[in-house]
Amino acid sequence: MEKTKKWRWGVNRWWVFLFIGLSIFFATRYPPIRPGIFVVPENVIPEPLFGNFYLTNTLVATIIVDIILISIALAVRSAAKSGSLVPKGISGAIEALLEAIYNLTESTAGKWTKTIFPIFATITLLVLFSNWLEMFPGVESIGRLHEGEHGYPAVAITEGISAIVKGDAAHAEGGHYEVVPFVRVPSTDLNFTLALALISVVMTQVIGFRAQGARYFSKFLNFTTLFKKPGFGLMDLLISILELISEFSKILSFSFRLFGNIFAGSVLLFLVGSILPAGAVWIQSGVLLFEFFIGLIQALVFGMLTMVFMSMATHGHGDEEEHAAA
Amino acid sequence: MTGDIIMAARFIGAGLSMIGALGAGIGIGLSVQGALEGMARNPDTYGNLLVNMILGIAFSEAIAIYCLVIAFLMLFQVV
Repeated sequence: MEKTKKWRWGVNRWWVFLFIGLSIFFATRYPPIRPGIFVVPENVIPEPLFGNFYLTNTLVATIIVDIILISIALAVRSAAKSGSLVPKGISGAIEALLEAIYNLTESTAGKWTKTIFPIFATITLLVLFSNWLEMFPGVESIGRLHEGEHGYPAVAITEGISAIVKGDAAHAEGGHYEVVPFVRVPSTDLNFTLALALISVVMTQVIGFRAQGARYFSKFLNFTTLFKKPGFGLMDLLISILELISEFSKILSFSFRLFGNIFAGSVLLFLVGSILPAGAVWIQSGVLLFEFFIGLIQALVFGMLTMVFMSMATHGHGDEEEHAAA
Repeated sequence: MTGDIIMAARFIGAGLSMIGALGAGIGIGLSVQGALEGMARNPDTYGNLLVNMILGIAFSEAIAIYCLVIAFLMLFQVV
């Protein structure tokens, strides 16, 4: 019999109570304000790093997500090399996730699993962890003060650290301030989602070309039947041009689906926090739980759609006829 | 005064853009209906149907999210 670890109710209970008490204290002491809502990511440092390149807060978050993923990969590697067959802790969770993804890929892609699975898993893990960055306290709330037209008065807590408080900005002596967060969820930046969508769609073409050769591009400009059967051939040509357009609309729908879901979620969190009275601060926790779920679903949807489009690209339209003839 | 009219137009526009959520609601309802009927007839397919149902819901929901983003952009004067 393996010795199971005893569930430490006695300790965990006090941690939960501590965090509930802390959140109630801060919600009454510093009521949540409505932060400025920007589609464009803000610059962490006002001056450009070099040339025209600014360090935006979503870039900082992307680097943090990369560090998390690399350290998880190293932890799983050392666990796999240690020789124990039963994975423990984080490597067990990663193994369960990857096994589910692998089985899904195998049932759809068949013999192309080894090519498609790495892309699917990479996109899913990256999007998953960048969505879940929203859960960490301090993300989108700790940052530098920026004096602006709209905003709220700032109150100094200690030397160099200030908090923005709700209140009438008209008789505040310091002026109006806004917080420019140091870290913002990468998926609320259209650049991040558009880059992922471009990678996904371009890699779909590459895999299609590898699987079918030059025949793959007859899907987009189909002249093959134009001279044999003029009437239906023309229709085939028009349909293939529609395929070409739908390939570009895939980029749009990929990027806007992820961006819209996560951006709307963060705006919802801002609004729920600022509109409700301080006693109802637990409602924001419920919305955060919902966002946790949405982040998982959207990461899976992004990866799964990539996988489905790729496996559709590996077998062309002609395959069914060949099977019927054989 | 002109600012007030622009503000009113923003609110009206945000409200109108959320009409698009109607289609998403119908779509989600239909997909859940289909999945539930399948589950009731054949309870063994519960897990399989649940995953596909959630995927379908995510796709229909994305349409409503597009509308929500447009409404937010209008309300908070981003564009």
